Amino acid sequence: MPLTAPKRFPVWAELMLIAAAFIALIPALQVHRVNDYMIFCVFVLSFDLLYGYMGRLSFGQMLYLGTGAYVSTIFSIHVNGNPLLSMLAGILGGTVIAALAGLIVSRLSEAPFALSNLAFNQVGFFLVGSTFQNWTNGENGLSAAVMPWGYLDFSNEYTACVFILACLLGVFALMRYLTASPFGIMIRSIKENGTRVRFLGFNVFWYKWLTFVICGFVAALAGSLYTVYIGFISPVFIHPLHNVEVIFACLIGGAGNLYGALIGGVLFMGMKDVLSAHLGQWEWLLGLILLSIVFWFRRGVTGLVASIAGSVATGRRLRRVEERANP
Amino acid sequence: MIQSLVYGLTIGAILYFFSIGLSITFGTMQIINFAHAMIYALGVYFFISLLALFKGMVPLAVCGALVLGAPIAYATERFVIRRLYGESLDYAMIATYALLLIGTDVIKFFWGTTPYPVTDPIGTSTNMFGFALPVYRILIIVLAVLLFLALNQFTKRSVVGKIVVAALEDKDGVRCLGINVDKYFSWVFVLGSLLAVVGGVLYAPISTAEPYMGYNILLIAFAVVITGGMGSFTGTFVAAFAMGLVIAITGRFWSQAADTMVFVVMALVLIVRKDGQTDG
Repeated sequence: MPLTAPKRFPVWAELMLIAAAFIALIPALQVHRVNDYMIFCVFVLSFDLLYGYMGRLSFGQMLYLGTGAYVSTIFSIHVNGNPLLSMLAGILGGTVIAALAGLIVSRLSEAPFALSNLAFNQVGFFLVGSTFQNWTNGENGLSAAVMPWGYLDFSNEYTACVFILACLLGVFALMRYLTASPFGIMIRSIKENGTRVRFLGFNVFWYKWLTFVICGFVAALAGSLYTVYIGFISPVFIHPLHNVEVIFACLIGGAGNLYGALIGGVLFMGMKDVLSAHLGQWEWLLGLILLSIVFWFRRGVTGLVASIAGSVATGRRLRRVEERANP
Repeated sequence: MIQSLVYGLTIGAILYFFSIGLSITFGTMQIINFAHAMIYALGVYFFISLLALFKGMVPLAVCGALVLGAPIAYATERFVIRRLYGESLDYAMIATYALLLIGTDVIKFFWGTTPYPVTDPIGTSTNMFGFALPVYRILIIVLAVLLFLALNQFTKRSVVGKIVVAALEDKDGVRCLGINVDKYFSWVFVLGSLLAVVGGVLYAPISTAEPYMGYNILLIAFAVVITGGMGSFTGTFVAAFAMGLVIAITGRFWSQAADTMVFVVMALVLIVRKDGQTDG
């Protein structure tokens, strides 16, 4: 992977393209599904920065999604029903938890990293499900008390769609800026060889911690979007078993590629909708597809497209060379 | 209190059975073998079906479960883990997780989602220090200790054991001596998986069999493996029993927090010991 950012379209053109693509999905899927898909895409983007760019596979990203969702819900019930303030509270909660947990886990890598995240997620799930039952209503879930604020009324699905799309575009722009910046080069270097980066005199821990916190921040944003949009939160949103969904989405789209995260998010959610409607159990299919990705399509959909495009371009170049050799 | 202690030691013994295989794959390949939980759960379900088939002859059913479990374990190692080993640890972990997903759905398909209760095969209690203690639990503890001693002798006396221990320290070094390390590891992998099956079968009468039974013990066993030091046989033994006691003692005072306490202990150990840190 080249470390410098390749030449790209201007940011606004990319954002317009993404917005157009999601709006084009609305007639086919109905608004409420597209909203769900977009929120999930925000979550996949957060995971992609951690896994695709920094190479840290986490089995515990649901913790930050769930914290964002729960904190914003509880805030909306007990403090203030303003949607933006609730979201802010949720994001703040998720980020603080990520900052604290990051102090421990971002020192680790590979298996210990994946496991400690899973363990923290399990602890979070337990806290939500049992310890703070009085606040979270345990397994029965909790309804948010988010009120409309000015034009921002989430019961209107089109308003929600505009707001969620704006959030998604904002996160995408942030990720695009981060991954193309020197910071992004640094985290990709850490993925390749962290020890060598440390020998160059950089504070590797600081970069890993900061990336972890940013990922927690974006995941919490996705969680608080679920709160204000769906308005009902249950321990499903923090369950450790659901981590595989975001891993799957990231891989099928192509890890380490922001468009891959979006495509993967949409593909996964689409698959989930179709399969859960027709099959009672569909996790085995998820497993089979994961296995085939791992064995044959490591770079996911975007990688497949890129390699086909690449081979077409190479073929054209070869033909041109041949024509020049024997006119 | 004695009853809590015995309960803790029983949990520790089961954790020990389960963690050995995990610790070996962790120590040799640095991957988390999620498929371990699949083999554990499958083994228990095989046992239940065979027990009905053989009309309650427990030893026969156990042997049958082991015979059925071995090829699955071997295939996992040979066709998934070994194929991905050396390429990417992340992919190997994801692949084993994918196997776990498939295995769970296979169980749901054949046996359904309702939990199966398994009856205690001994069912009597003994009086010890003035407390009524189930003989079955004491048997489990004794078996775990015997297993520990046997493994100790195996690694110290037999050639295979020595090779495995040496390869856990330095795989390339052993390979340079002209020993086919992979072959020994796949035998040890199968052995570890079968021990997990034994652990599952022993644990089934205390708990119940359900499709997700592997996930829970897997998480706690990971904590055991990390705390005990990856690939260390003695460390795993000590950590398993320590974690079992942590669960039992926490459970006595605050039953819901029992499992969580394990991870708190693990986090503390990780902070203090600072291993597993490759950079920064």
